[in-house]
Amino acid sequence: METSFALTGKGYLIMAADTTAARSIVKMKVDEDKIKTLSPHLLMAYSGEPGKYQFCFTDRDTIQFAEFVERNIRLYQIRNLYALRPAAAASWIRRSLAESLRSRRPYSVNLLLGGYDTATHDPHLYWIDYLGTLTEVPFAAHGYGSYFALSLLDRYHDPEAPLEEGLATLKRCIDEVSKRLVVSPSNYKIKVVDKDGVREVEL
Amino acid sequence: MNSLVERYSTTSPTALLRKAQRLADEEEEFSDAAWGSTAGFGNIVKGSPSFMVPNAPDPTAFLRLHTDDHADPTCRIKIQHGTTTLAFRFQGGVIVAVDSRATAGSYIASGTVKKVIEINPYLLGTMAGGAADCQYWETYLGMHCRLHELRNRERISVSAASKYLSNLVYSYKGMGLSMGTMICGWDKTGPAVFYVDSDGTRLKGDLFSVGSGSTFAYGVLDQGYRWDLTDEEAQELGRRSIYAAGHRDAFSGNTCNLYHVKEDGWKFIGNYDIAKLHNEGYGYDIRVEGRSSANPPEVATAA
Amino acid sequence: MEAISHAGTVLGVLAKDGVVLAAEKKVTGKLLDLSSAKEGGYGGSGEKIYLLNTNVIGGVAGLTADANSLVNYARTAAQRHLLMYNEDIPVELLAQRLCDMKQGYTQFGGLRPFGVSLLYAGYDPHYHFQLYHSDPSGNYSGWKATCIGANNGTAQSLLKQEYKDDIVVKDAIGLVLRTMSKTMDSTTLTSEKLEFAVLTVDPVTKKPNAKIYRPSEIDALLASEGLAKKDEDTEMKAA
Repeated sequence: METSFALTGKGYLIMAADTTAARSIVKMKVDEDKIKTLSPHLLMAYSGEPGKYQFCFTDRDTIQFAEFVERNIRLYQIRNLYALRPAAAASWIRRSLAESLRSRRPYSVNLLLGGYDTATHDPHLYWIDYLGTLTEVPFAAHGYGSYFALSLLDRYHDPEAPLEEGLATLKRCIDEVSKRLVVSPSNYKIKVVDKDGVREVEL
Repeated sequence: MNSLVERYSTTSPTALLRKAQRLADEEEEFSDAAWGSTAGFGNIVKGSPSFMVPNAPDPTAFLRLHTDDHADPTCRIKIQHGTTTLAFRFQGGVIVAVDSRATAGSYIASGTVKKVIEINPYLLGTMAGGAADCQYWETYLGMHCRLHELRNRERISVSAASKYLSNLVYSYKGMGLSMGTMICGWDKTGPAVFYVDSDGTRLKGDLFSVGSGSTFAYGVLDQGYRWDLTDEEAQELGRRSIYAAGHRDAFSGNTCNLYHVKEDGWKFIGNYDIAKLHNEGYGYDIRVEGRSSANPPEVATAA
Repeated sequence: MEAISHAGTVLGVLAKDGVVLAAEKKVTGKLLDLSSAKEGGYGGSGEKIYLLNTNVIGGVAGLTADANSLVNYARTAAQRHLLMYNEDIPVELLAQRLCDMKQGYTQFGGLRPFGVSLLYAGYDPHYHFQLYHSDPSGNYSGWKATCIGANNGTAQSLLKQEYKDDIVVKDAIGLVLRTMSKTMDSTTLTSEKLEFAVLTVDPVTKKPNAKIYRPSEIDALLASEGLAKKDEDTEMKAA
């Protein structure tokens, strides 16, 4: 099942999403990157809300919305020479999603938006669901994995943890989901954003 | 007038109820032996042994209609589905921890439910699913455990007790029983935990959690579990895991009841208010108070 | 353009820790009702200096009626940004929004362009303190110190001489007032002829603090700067 996690730490943010693209009971692809880099210091993990037309896979709709966001954030950066700050980007994305919700065919996509604010030098993480709920949190998860990871993060998350410790906490989440979730994802893509920008890491 | 009509009517609800009661009364004429116990004398009931079944054509449908929101949102009785219970085995025995919330739909029916059923001084059963089902059948199991002791001059093993329960609920399968329980205790083999549910599943294991909050409990439990935990560490882990579920799961909460089973039987460790645990250090906000992820660049001190 | 060069002078100076804005009032007189400037509102008498958003103060020179319309547009644009992004509009973006509109009126026939120049004194986390100027054609540019309205040439050359890159707000206030008193038609600076505003950032909350002075506050400031009433000439020599 689709699962994504993110957590903040001292001057950084880690985001992880599984890499499976599935249709029905078939895994169509096992190395799909579901974390978009929206700007030099901004990441967005997207996953579909299992609903009427789809079941736990990132379908075209979800990707369409992610690309729409990606292009608009890029446009802002081209126009203004600086990128939107994470908080502003989160508000804009939430608004787009909320407007879509009341349209003829709403996007049903769940998002984790995380970035490093270069103006205030701190990481920010926003949890956004397909209904347009936005909340800023120190850690977050989407999908079935959240049922296992959130309690664990309540217990182990430390806002001042150095990167190695943050990655160790993320590993606990991934291990726990692998252990307890019936159809647990096999692979994750993990990205870190800090003052130096975005980079991919391995556990 | 209405009451008069109703009394002699054969189709009104009260008439149906009366009929059911009458039938039930007739059933009472059979001894408890029909329930499975033969007290060592074989089955003395005439005819083939039969189960006590509710006086409804289809008990499952009857139960669903009267207890389940999905079938009938107006139903007055709702089976308690939201719960968190956990039990795990470790070097120092078995830890059993449960929450104390009873919900009926979105309503918190009680915050002081005892979800650990003390079957006998060496056996504990946990309660998840239908409260009545668990309470009744586990008490009933206690009766049979005692009979086993009297007959065999030794305490029943946890394995046997759980098997007995498992067989019992299996025979009622499809009739609407709803239980998810852990039978925990100490026998000749040492500490033991068995998971038994109303589908008839019976599993032996080191660590189980049952109920709507179980995933949250597992998250903390799995990450903190080791076989060689000390007694204090183990009790803390059980309590912390129930807190996690009480905090994250809307259908679990209020207080945590903690038991520890050792070689000489179970001991009640305590009852802990989850809100109090939250405010006294378990809560995330309290735990990380004053800590910040901000990482401003070092300002050149010499200026 | 013509109207602007006759309009009351508006002067802005960008400092390290704030922006200072001052304007010369043209509509004055004993009979003018200034009660709102004295008591209500956010300060200022509402002729030249306006609060455009929490983080931006605007100074206008030109046709007052056009200016009112532009101020209203700017405020709306800032609120639209707040609604969309939940943050104060970046200063340059606000200047751009107004210039987009001003430019529009130069492009299509049948419509008269806005006869207004503006100074924007603002703060945002991207570029911190900023000072922009926009003209009726829709051009805008950023400045360290600039001036619009009557005698703007004189004022600019004065500013050019006296401006220092690491100027702080306290010195900038002095610079603005001194320059103002030299360029204005009348010889004395009083709250009756002057509007004044300072934008700083609260050292604790890091939030912008836009202060538009009330008449009484302007008089107090002038007194403390030694520019009140007649002593002006001696003060200027000393400076």
